[in-house]
Amino acid sequence: MKIGLEVHVALPTKTKLFCNDLAYENQDIPNSNVCPVCLGLPGSKPVLNKKALEISANIANSLNCKIPAKTSFVRKVYFYPDLPKGYQITQLDGAIGKEGYISIKNKKVGIRRVQIEEDPAKILREKDYSLIDFNRSGVPLNEIVTEPDIENLEELKELIKELRSILYYNGVDINQEIKSDLNISLAENRVEIKNVTGIKNLISAAEYEIQRQSQLIKDGKDVIMETRTYKEDTEETVSSREKETEEEYGFIFESDLTFYETSNIKLNKVVIPSKIAHELAEKNGYSEETIRELVMFNKRNLYLLSNTPKEDFSKAVALIEKFYSFGIMDYSDNQFEMMLKYDVSSMDKGTFMSRIEGKEPIKEADKKEIEEYLILTIKQDSTLQGREDEKAIGFLIGKLKQKYHMDSKEAKEIIEKTIKTQKVN
Amino acid sequence: MKEEFLYVDKEGYSKLVNHLENRNSELNAFNFIDKTEKEGKIISVKDNICVQGIPATASSKVLSGYVPNFNATVVDRLQKNGFAVVGKTNMDEFGFGSFGINSDKIAHNPFDQRYVAGGSSSGSAIATAIIKNHISIAESTGGSISTPASFCGVVGLTPTYGAISRYGLIDYANSLDKIGVMGRNSESLKYVMNIVSGQDEKDTTSVSNTLEEVRKDKLYVIDNFTKNINQTVLDRFEELLSRFSSDGYKIEHVKIDNLDYSLPAYYILSMAEASTNLAKYQGFKYGHKLKQFSMGYNEFFTEARKDFGMEAKRRIILGTFIRGKSFKQKYYEKALSIRAEIIKRMKSFLKEGFIISPTAPILTPKIDEVKDITPVEEYSMDMLTIPPNLCGFPHISFPYNYEKGLPLGAQLITDHFNDYALLDFVSHWEEGFKYRFAEEIS
Repeated sequence: MKIGLEVHVALPTKTKLFCNDLAYENQDIPNSNVCPVCLGLPGSKPVLNKKALEISANIANSLNCKIPAKTSFVRKVYFYPDLPKGYQITQLDGAIGKEGYISIKNKKVGIRRVQIEEDPAKILREKDYSLIDFNRSGVPLNEIVTEPDIENLEELKELIKELRSILYYNGVDINQEIKSDLNISLAENRVEIKNVTGIKNLISAAEYEIQRQSQLIKDGKDVIMETRTYKEDTEETVSSREKETEEEYGFIFESDLTFYETSNIKLNKVVIPSKIAHELAEKNGYSEETIRELVMFNKRNLYLLSNTPKEDFSKAVALIEKFYSFGIMDYSDNQFEMMLKYDVSSMDKGTFMSRIEGKEPIKEADKKEIEEYLILTIKQDSTLQGREDEKAIGFLIGKLKQKYHMDSKEAKEIIEKTIKTQKVN
Repeated sequence: MKEEFLYVDKEGYSKLVNHLENRNSELNAFNFIDKTEKEGKIISVKDNICVQGIPATASSKVLSGYVPNFNATVVDRLQKNGFAVVGKTNMDEFGFGSFGINSDKIAHNPFDQRYVAGGSSSGSAIATAIIKNHISIAESTGGSISTPASFCGVVGLTPTYGAISRYGLIDYANSLDKIGVMGRNSESLKYVMNIVSGQDEKDTTSVSNTLEEVRKDKLYVIDNFTKNINQTVLDRFEELLSRFSSDGYKIEHVKIDNLDYSLPAYYILSMAEASTNLAKYQGFKYGHKLKQFSMGYNEFFTEARKDFGMEAKRRIILGTFIRGKSFKQKYYEKALSIRAEIIKRMKSFLKEGFIISPTAPILTPKIDEVKDITPVEEYSMDMLTIPPNLCGFPHISFPYNYEKGLPLGAQLITDHFNDYALLDFVSHWEEGFKYRFAEEIS
């Protein structure tokens, strides 16, 4: 089985790829973020967004690609209503990344190309007409093309997770609906599934297609070389009934742009989270799977765990999980370090919160004073004497909270202990 | 003579417009004359260059009704310097032509209406020839400034590729298109060049290089460049050379190998690029709009694109063919190599001197004579203007003689960024030669 992928992801830039319109903000009103360039008006000219180039070079670098000394663009000519110029500006031979790979558990999946390109407009289909929203026209994308090195569904899932994780570490919005084309061939003939939206659909399209092709082979039938589309509602792929001719886009150099030097692009240190997870697991003798879960899509966790000494490592993992379980996301490095002092495994939220706020547990010396205060309080109030019920304890908790700023759990413990001791005495 | 421009106030403007409309009905110099009263130094702009609020059609039906909401950078810079655009000049559709006849309204030579004005910047040349002290912003891809300037007896400068921003230019072939200037003398051209040239952040291919004025006293005549030239044209040109020789220029006859390939290389590259540039005309966003919404989009586009003229259709088909997978290496990529090679060979001479030739290989033809010539015959008329255009070398066409009442132009080429040397050369020429202009409308 051979599976290859073409993934399109939108890049985290403020403005579009070839003009100064906002790429993602204020998109509610259709056709409000448009200009002569992204509308393809005659006379307009594209100017490359250097930030998009920088991000793309970093993505290519993270995917172990060769980055050419100069990168350039081509026109891909085809007619579709969402394509205002009648061609898409994209890359081919001059692509920003070539011949890279992604490492998954047991192998490397080749990356043929990372190319920068512009998103077409969005077509809104109504009952008997369509509308076009050009706000999306010109949004910067990377198309990442893999070699057909994926050999089963598990590898496909793993590859997608790995790729998304690397993209996330390059600042890409990981919640976007990633659009992909999928090539699957179980037999000789290649079947292409075009325009699958979202990861869930991608997996389920692959699942269906693998199933379909195996069944055909089992039945002794031919798998036809064709383009198919994935139907979300029925979770199956259907033939696009397009004529199977070789696509002819008549690529030509985009001479409104130039050759861009790549040597001066700032390349960040490559972060492969799964690799770091593996290293952390080895170094600290901890479960790799748990660390992966924590760091693949969380830069903070990766940072915290990488900076935790071995002796504190398991405490750090437990602490991160505790933060998660209490839904606390905005803690500082200092707070994290401070919390490492405590055994948080049995802490309730209240105690946990007061520790984060810097409140120390009650010291033994203070406990004595509190006990004395309790005894005195009970003595002075006849209605409290000899009682161990919830109402009485609740009242005392309130008192302690007010006087000593204790949290409920701590207060309750000390009240129960005091009452018990009093009884024995 | 110092630079002078026709300045009009609001009252004078209406008068000027009236005169122009009268003349335009016979000559077809303008696709659009702006009646909105304005004042300033009068210029005209080729109809493929955007002026905010004024129609831009590039003489194409597919663009009828397109009113750009932005200015080309050249127009912006001129308006800021007190120039006022009186109208948009006629041209061959999208720049596809050498005679000014590939337009709904055929352009007529202002010296004699039976003759062509030359193309594709036909209207700019006519306007310059008939309006007092006029300057017109034109554009050349393969000779569209030199040829009409020569036929209409005006000075036409095609600058180094990238010296003037193309922002706002409706593309023909992006790697070849150059906005340039036509005028009545070198001084006024220099004045305008100073305003319009220089890098523009809206056009990536515009360059920051300073334009120079390195004088040369050597004139190269490329012998294999000037073969196949009409005998009268050649005779007049020889006379011109003797004059330059007696003025102290050194004339040297040389041969540049494979220069013949520049014509096919040019047409391959320009058609390939043109066929992509014309893909944006789909009949529903701007310009001429098709209202048959019941059609599928393929059918709709096919119907809308029937509005292109014959030559545009020819270039779309040929250009698309050239870009095809199976032919790209055979034609397009070879043409790129030829361009690189010719640049190298011409440059070796241009470092030492200017290259000079007649601008057109023929005497100005009558409209009737060229109406029915084959496309290849028409393409071959560009043989003298194409090499510098293919290579992005600056060149200038200037009037040097009059044959049976019609002007003859010569073309001078220099090295990249030495544009002002051309104007300097012509200004010396102007000291000893008086241009005749067709009219003096003011």
